[in-house]
Amino acid sequence: MTQEELQALTVEKSVDARGTACPGPLLEAKKAIGTINSGDIMEILSADEGTKKDIPKWAGKKGHDYLGTVEESGFFKIYLKKG
Amino acid sequence: MENKKLCLALFSGSLDKLTAAGVILSGAAADDMDIDVYILLQAARAFKKEIASNKDEIKLSENSHLREEFIDSLKNLNVKEWQDFFKEVKEITNAKFHICGLAGKIWGGETLEDFIDISDDIVGISEYITAAEEADIHLFI
Repeated sequence: MTQEELQALTVEKSVDARGTACPGPLLEAKKAIGTINSGDIMEILSADEGTKKDIPKWAGKKGHDYLGTVEESGFFKIYLKKG
Repeated sequence: MENKKLCLALFSGSLDKLTAAGVILSGAAADDMDIDVYILLQAARAFKKEIASNKDEIKLSENSHLREEFIDSLKNLNVKEWQDFFKEVKEITNAKFHICGLAGKIWGGETLEDFIDISDDIVGISEYITAAEEADIHLFI
């Protein structure tokens, strides 16, 4: 998906994990995805560089779709679709 | 589908290695793995209630002169303390912390009540070997 398409997604759940380092964002994502339905979109906000690779890898293993990452000033947003 | 299994032999009772164990177990918990942690010699000491509650008793395994810097960095990064990592892992997935009976006795721990609350039982070596045999991932820290 393009950056514009990611930005235009309707997000069911937003997880702000900018205050935590690894494994904080991963655990926040793990907990939050249990609260939404299959097909829903979740975004994870993080400033932890390792999370950019960590969460897409985890999502693939757990059957969720990694849609892309949007860079913001000082942080980024990762978009997942729950499988 | 059956969950994958992780078996960790946790020998170290040092702050840095306990923290590393917490990070690794968190990753396994995020993957819904079943976790068995075997608390061996030095770790069994760290799991004693009176040791775990006294931060000065838990040292670094390396670069001991950097202990305060290490602790400050963890706080600044909003990283949990090792016991909180382990508690959270238990909340997320099926994780058991087994105290080695011999290790416990070496440090004066005779019953489960002598160890921090996340401890599930006191076991012998056969339990550990069986879990290691059955695990998809087996680690020693």
